[in-house]
Amino acid sequence: MSELKRTQLYDVHVAAGATMVDFGGWEMPIEYPTKIVAEHLYTRHACGIFDVSHMGRVLVEGPQAVPFLQHVLSSNVKALDLNQAQYAIIPNERGGAVDDAYLYRFEEERYLLVVNAANTDKDLAHLNEQIKAYDAKMTVITGEWAAIAVQGPKSKEILQILSKGEAITEPVKNALNTLDFGGHTVRVAKTGYTGEPLGYEVYIESAGAVWLWNRLIELGAKPAGLGARDTLRLEACLPLYGHDMGDDPEGKEIPIFAVPLAKFAVSFSEQKGDFIGREPLTRQYEAFKRIMNRDFSDLAALPRRVLPITLLDKGVMRAGMPVYKGDKQIGFVTSGTMVPYYRHEGEGLQTVILEETAKRSIGLAILDSDTLEDDIVQVDIRGKRLKAVIPPYHMRVDAPPFARPILYRPEEEENAAASGDRTPKALELIGKALENHVWRQERCVNLIPSEMTASRAVRLLCASDPSFRYAEHKKVKSFYDADVFYYQGTEFIDQVEQLLVEEMKAFLGCAEAETRCISGQMSNTAVFSSLMDWKNRLDRKRDAKRLGYIMNNHIIKGGHLSAQPMGALHDYIAIDPVTERHALVNFPVLKDNIYRIDVEETKKAIAQYRPELIIFGKSMVLHKEPVAAIRKFVDEMGLETTIMYDMAHVLGLIGDYFQKPFQEGAEIVTGSTHKTFFGPQRGVIGVNYKKGDLKYGLWETIESRAFPGSVSNHHLGTQLGLLMAAYEMNQFKDEYQKAVVSNAKSFAKSLKAAGLDVAGDPANDYTETHQVIVNVGYGTGPEVAMRLERNSIICNYQATPEEEGFTASGALRMGVNEMTRFGFGPKEFDQLAQIMADCILRGKEVGEDIAKLRAGYTEMKYCFNENDVTSALNDLAKKSGI
Amino acid sequence: MNFPAELKYSKDHEWVKTIDETTVLVGITDFAQSELGDLVFINLPQPGDEVTAEESFCDVESVKAVSDVMSPCTGVVAEVNGELEDEPQMLNEDPYGAWIAKISDVTAFGELMTAQEYEAFIAK
Repeated sequence: MSELKRTQLYDVHVAAGATMVDFGGWEMPIEYPTKIVAEHLYTRHACGIFDVSHMGRVLVEGPQAVPFLQHVLSSNVKALDLNQAQYAIIPNERGGAVDDAYLYRFEEERYLLVVNAANTDKDLAHLNEQIKAYDAKMTVITGEWAAIAVQGPKSKEILQILSKGEAITEPVKNALNTLDFGGHTVRVAKTGYTGEPLGYEVYIESAGAVWLWNRLIELGAKPAGLGARDTLRLEACLPLYGHDMGDDPEGKEIPIFAVPLAKFAVSFSEQKGDFIGREPLTRQYEAFKRIMNRDFSDLAALPRRVLPITLLDKGVMRAGMPVYKGDKQIGFVTSGTMVPYYRHEGEGLQTVILEETAKRSIGLAILDSDTLEDDIVQVDIRGKRLKAVIPPYHMRVDAPPFARPILYRPEEEENAAASGDRTPKALELIGKALENHVWRQERCVNLIPSEMTASRAVRLLCASDPSFRYAEHKKVKSFYDADVFYYQGTEFIDQVEQLLVEEMKAFLGCAEAETRCISGQMSNTAVFSSLMDWKNRLDRKRDAKRLGYIMNNHIIKGGHLSAQPMGALHDYIAIDPVTERHALVNFPVLKDNIYRIDVEETKKAIAQYRPELIIFGKSMVLHKEPVAAIRKFVDEMGLETTIMYDMAHVLGLIGDYFQKPFQEGAEIVTGSTHKTFFGPQRGVIGVNYKKGDLKYGLWETIESRAFPGSVSNHHLGTQLGLLMAAYEMNQFKDEYQKAVVSNAKSFAKSLKAAGLDVAGDPANDYTETHQVIVNVGYGTGPEVAMRLERNSIICNYQATPEEEGFTASGALRMGVNEMTRFGFGPKEFDQLAQIMADCILRGKEVGEDIAKLRAGYTEMKYCFNENDVTSALNDLAKKSGI
Repeated sequence: MNFPAELKYSKDHEWVKTIDETTVLVGITDFAQSELGDLVFINLPQPGDEVTAEESFCDVESVKAVSDVMSPCTGVVAEVNGELEDEPQMLNEDPYGAWIAKISDVTAFGELMTAQEYEAFIAK
């Protein structure tokens, strides 16, 4: 095997007793003495490391590096930001794949292209031919830099020891970073070929490769060979060139769109010009879209597609085995083996991964394009036809930090509701509702920052008569903008709404208020819809243009779901034609306090993107938003940016102790009325446009997007209750807001003193709002929150800005608002902090302590408790039968 | 690696344990399981199958590949180790305990070696 190439880590593999094989001209470890199954499993539950230094690494630079890459890759290179990576295919003229590749942008002007080891020579010949037409150059650095894939749930904490605590990359796929590991400069990518939600590939200069490999093992990683790499990638349904891409078992070229990842890897952006394969790929894409719509009339461009396959009978599928549906051969297995997995028990968040393992025979197969999910097929395994099925996938990674195997199971039929007498069910429901009410109101300490118990007055009014009524109304210009109601019997309701609008205007400090939206999210939707409508008001003869750019807080940095493209922005935000992504830019945050916006960096981003809309506001909120500074900058720049503040979480804090958004320069404020405000659950929109302003038209649009745009019936019972809540708020806000903010600061300090890791800036006592965030350890948030719930402390676990998603969350988000309203002060919050520390740090059962603490605080403050109010409410309850 | 002296070995890496003059137990050697890697599936013969020395009578699959297991003798399958169907990894963990088949009515053997000879054979 002397002619085989060896990586920087060859000697280490041999010393470790690895079985070395020829892989694409390289002498590589297929497995270590631990063997494939154990290496696979260790990667899934801890951390496997893989020598991937055999893969071809090419630097591309020069004035025309981007046009060259746009021409030879399937992806949109213009969309690749600094410190981002993208998957790409190197297409040929026929729309087949020369290879698949990853493109990394660690440096502004230089791109790193990583290709398959076995294809490197072929790829380079192809690329060298193409680059002649461009002022760009390629440098092969395969020998100069080693590459180690560090994959699995423990990978981040292991690498973070080497980075001395510095964040490895942003917690999103394809993020890059350059770091220092023990004096070695390393380039790290959150990429990999195992499907692990936590997985990195680390590039290091050759001289440091052995050192890094050995350090990783010392820190708990274990080497895994190419065998495990193959079973891992197969479980993740990642294609392998030469099996699931390239030529099929009959020697026919596999069209790129036959590969599931193609829809991410291929861009038809105008930016790409006439790239190699564009025309056949366009035809494949048209066929792909037809197939996805189950129109199988013209499959010429895409006769077969690569799909996951699971063997239901006992046996092992192998590449090349024919697949049948009935008597007809519909394709071949392209990759197949037996893959191990950990069994699990329990459901949902309570799912426990067991130590017990099992194996399943899974694969990928290239099959006729009319094959559907759940189709039963047969695989010819050495002459025997064994039953198999087409599953949607083999594994999911949307519950980090673990990749979760998905075993094929047919949908179970849901039980229809049993028939018979419902009286016992009705009684049971009432009993359970009472039980829940008593538990939540008398035994629990509620720390969910987005919740608030409403006063008795609010609750009674919510349930009283108008709650069954309709009161659609609209301003009519012919009647000098008088509101016209469409139904009779609405005089009282009309008065209530007018009074509510006046109370809300006074509270928000603005010119106009809309109170018909029944949630904060609906308020946002109505505003975004209005902004888009307003943008297009002078040209209604073509499709309306969407909004873009928009600046907001990133969801993982505490941004509010309702102000994201996956929330209320969904139908109103444009796609940037250059990046082919949402025209969204996020507020940069301070490096040393990720909960605070970096104003100077924000100004740079505003100057660059000139956003149409800036949305302040968060759901994980510790600080004031820099509204005034950004307003000033936007005005100085002369931008026509609309500044909005989504105050869902902090609506009830508007005032002297937090922020006055309109005074600081916000034009639009939205909020939900039941978080820090006094309930019930509704939304509100305030604007500061005045009659005669150009943008007063935008306000009128907002009114019409509330009704009839968002609601027909605007829930009159809770609107009545909200008027009472607004009276309470305007009456008591000074004491309430002062108490909330000082209680939060005091609670944070007590938690810190009790030994918990409180997030935020100690200089501000960790918080300027009602919220306190406590870090309880990566991935442990759900467990700790459930433990607290068992002990009647209700809060929610939340991913911090450094974590991958809610199942990986390591923080608790708490709000003092509701307990403040029940009379908790610094003393009670200090007691609570001690009890929580006992439960979180020492695993103590504290339910009784909590019940005792809570028992003294069941009477609501900051509401009308005078005797005459109480007797009027008793009268209302009695006479209304509520 | 372990090669018990009381067993006989074939050049195809099976072991043979004599029960009586015409009955043997057959399995794969420690060397074989190590070369094959993690075994994940076994295709056992059926009791009653007639088997011929140095011809395939069973196959085992590792994560990597499928391999035939050759019969070290000519005879009739009397019994198979059904446990291996659910736990083929027993072949890796305990190759001499994890017998594959009991073969009776043995009329002929293929070429067999002693433990010492086999050790020398695989060292080549």
